[in-house]
Amino acid sequence: MSEFEAYRGLFVAESRENHENLVKNLLILEKGPDQNAIDEIFRSVHTLKGASASMGFAEMERLCHAMEDVFQLVRSGTAEITEDLCSLLLACSDLLEQMIDDVEGGGDTSSMNADKQVNALKAWIEQRGGGKAQKKATAPAAKARDATPATETEPSDNSGGLPEYDLQVTVASECMMKDVRALLAIGNLESLGTILSLNPSKEAIDEGNFDGVLTIRIASDAGEEALKTAASGTEIADVDVKPAAKQEPASPKKPTDADKKPAAATADKSREIKNLRVDIHQLDHIMNLVEDLVINRGRLKQIAEQHRIKEMDEAIGMVERSVSDLQNLMMNIRMIPLNQIFNRLPRVVRDVAIYDSKEVEFVIEGGETELDRSVMDGLNDPLLHLIRNSVNHGIESPDAREKAGKPRKGFVKLSAYRDRDNVIIKLTDDGAGINVEKVKSKAIEKGLITQDTANTLTTDQAVDLLFQPGFSTADKISDISGRGVGLDVVKRSIESLKGTIRVETTPGKGSCFELLLPPTMAIVDVMIVRINGRRLGIPISSIVEVANFKRDATHFIGKGEAVLLRDEVLQLMWLNDMVGLSEVCEILIVVQYEKRKCCIPVDLVEGQQEVVVKPLSKLIGNTRGVSGITILGDGEVIPVLDVNTIA
Amino acid sequence: MGKILIVDDTLFMRTLLKNILFSGGHTIAGEAGDGEEAVAKYKELKPDLVTMDVVMPKMNGIEALKGIKAIDPAARVVMCTAVGQEQMVKLAIKSGAKGYIVKPFQAPKVLEEVKNVLAT
Repeated sequence: MSEFEAYRGLFVAESRENHENLVKNLLILEKGPDQNAIDEIFRSVHTLKGASASMGFAEMERLCHAMEDVFQLVRSGTAEITEDLCSLLLACSDLLEQMIDDVEGGGDTSSMNADKQVNALKAWIEQRGGGKAQKKATAPAAKARDATPATETEPSDNSGGLPEYDLQVTVASECMMKDVRALLAIGNLESLGTILSLNPSKEAIDEGNFDGVLTIRIASDAGEEALKTAASGTEIADVDVKPAAKQEPASPKKPTDADKKPAAATADKSREIKNLRVDIHQLDHIMNLVEDLVINRGRLKQIAEQHRIKEMDEAIGMVERSVSDLQNLMMNIRMIPLNQIFNRLPRVVRDVAIYDSKEVEFVIEGGETELDRSVMDGLNDPLLHLIRNSVNHGIESPDAREKAGKPRKGFVKLSAYRDRDNVIIKLTDDGAGINVEKVKSKAIEKGLITQDTANTLTTDQAVDLLFQPGFSTADKISDISGRGVGLDVVKRSIESLKGTIRVETTPGKGSCFELLLPPTMAIVDVMIVRINGRRLGIPISSIVEVANFKRDATHFIGKGEAVLLRDEVLQLMWLNDMVGLSEVCEILIVVQYEKRKCCIPVDLVEGQQEVVVKPLSKLIGNTRGVSGITILGDGEVIPVLDVNTIA
Repeated sequence: MGKILIVDDTLFMRTLLKNILFSGGHTIAGEAGDGEEAVAKYKELKPDLVTMDVVMPKMNGIEALKGIKAIDPAARVVMCTAVGQEQMVKLAIKSGAKGYIVKPFQAPKVLEEVKNVLAT
C-alpha cells in the first residue's frame, strides 16, 4: 500500500471528478435514453475501477466492476435503463462517494461493505439473462485442444521453398489473457514468414478457445533464434523451435525489421504542461504571504510619507503595483466556479422529490460564476438546506398544485450572477409561498413573540421569524430537511461568510431566497474612521453615504435615537459600548444591510484603504458586530465592523 | 530504454505509469489525455513506444491506435487494458498493437512488456 501513498491525493481528486460525472450522467439518463451519457458513465466507472484496483482498494474495485458489468450490457443495447436501475446505480454512486471520503481520510475502503449493492447489480444482470454473454467473453475454453481438427487452420502453401519449422509456444499459467498473448506471438511470427498451420486456429483463439499451448508450423528464412525471439515475450513461459521434418538447417539471416527503431529525435522539447494541481493548503499559505505583503506595503507607504524621498516613493510605487497585481492574481487563482457545488444539487432535488412524492423540475443558471474557495466551502451546507427546504416545504404535492390551477410539476430555479462586487445566488420556486399567518402563530406557540407583537408585524418582519433559532414550520420533522437544523443556522453560516440572506414570498406564487455574497473574504476595502480617539474600519461595500451630523437634530423614538436624512428616518447606532462616549461626533456614516439602513456617528474619517481582515480567535467567543481585526500601516491593530450583525 | 508517449484520460494513471517507466530508465516523450491528442502528439514527438488506454473520451484507444498506425505502420503501441476487455485488446492486436499491459499495473510486468516490445 505504502508505495501508492503518494498518489492518494490525485486518486481522490480524480475519483471525485469521475463520481460527479457519473451522477450527472445518471440523472440525464433518467430523463431518457442518451448514448453519450451511457458512454460517459461507462468511461467514469471504468476509470474508477482501474484506479481503485491500482491503489489496492478491493471493495471499491468490486463495486465498480459490478457497475461496469451492468453498463456493458446497457452500452451494447442488450439492456435498457429503467428507473429502478437508475436508483440502484445512484445508490451505488453514493457508496462510491463514501468510499472516496474514506480514502481521503486515509482509509482503503476495506471498512465498507458493498455486498448489498454488488448483489443487487448481479441480480439485475441475472434477471436480464445478460450474464451469458458476459461469461462467453471471459471464460477460458478448456476444450479447445480436444476439438483439434475443427480449429486447426488449413495448411498453407510454402511455394517459396523456405525452410519450415515447428514451434510450440506455451503461455505462462499466470497470464491473464492467454488468448491475447497467443495472438501477439502469432502476429510477431507472421512478420518473419508464412504460417503454414496453426493449432488452435486464429478464429478459435479469437473466440476465446485457447488453453495456453499453441502449435505452429512456419516457413521462414529468419532462422531458429529469430523465430524463438519473435514468439517469446512477456508471459510466454516456453518456446520450443524445431526444424520441421525433412528440412535442411536454416541459414542464419538477421530478422528484417528488428533494427528498424526510429531514431530518437532530441529536439522535442515542445512538451508543455498547461495545468497543474496545487494542494489547497499551499495556496492558502501563498494567500497568507500576499496578505502580509499587503500589510507591509501599507506600512512602507506610511513611512515613505514621513520622509518624502523621491526615489523611495518611486520604488514603493512599483512595489505597490506589483503587490496589487499579485493580489489580484491570487484572488483569481482561488476562484472556482459555483458548478463545483451546484453539480451535486440536481441529485438532492431528485431524492427529496421522490421521498415527498412530488414532481419537480430543477434548473440551474450561472453555474460558471466564480467564488473564492473559502466562501465556497461555507456555502455548501446552507445551500443544500435551502434546496431541500424549497422542495420539501415550498413545492406543493402534484394534486394540490393541480387544484390551485398550476402545472403538476413544480419548478425550482437556482441562479447565480455577479453584481458589481457581489455574487448573488437566487433560489426561486413556484410553490405555495410562505404562509405568514402560520409563521406568526408558530412563533407565538414557540414563545418567540406575543400575540400583540404578532399583530403589528409586517410581512417582511414575520418572514424574518423563520430565521429565529429553533423555528421550524414543518408539521413533523422530516427525514429530508428537518433534523433540527433550521434557517437560523443557514443565516448564521451565510453571515459568517460576510454575506446576507433575504426572502421574498408571494402566497400561492412561490418564494425566492436571495443570498448576497462577497466573492472573496480575505481582502476588503474599508473606510478608516475615528471615534473617541479609537480607530475602526467599516467595509466600503456596506457604506451608502457619509453625511454631516448635527447633534441637536436627533429625535428620540422610544429608547432609540434617530435622524431625518433625505426624508428618511434613520436609526442612530452609537458605538459607545465599543469605544466609549464621544462628545465630538460630527460625521454620520450611513450603512446598509439587507434592506435596512442606519447611521454610525463618528468623529472623523481618516481615509480609505484595502486591508486584510483576520478573523478573531475562537477563544474570544461570539463577537457580533466585529468581523475581525486588521493591522494598519503604522502597526496599529483595529477592529473591522460587521454591519450585518451590528444591530 | 525508450522514449515513451503515455496516453490515458486520467492524470492518476498517467502519473502511475510515468513513475513505473521512469524507474525502468525510460524517458517520457509526452502525455496525452484522449485519442485525438494521442495521434497529434505521436506525429509531433515520434516516440519509440506508446502506452494506450482503451476507454477514453473523444477518440477511444482503438481508433487512436489506427490513427497512429496510419501515420507510422512501424509504431509500437502497447495497450493498457483491464480484465474483461479481452475482445477490445484482440481488436487492438489485429489493428497492429504490439503488446498489452493489464491494470492494476505491476511495475515488473509493465517494464518487461515495454522492454520486449521495444526489442521488436
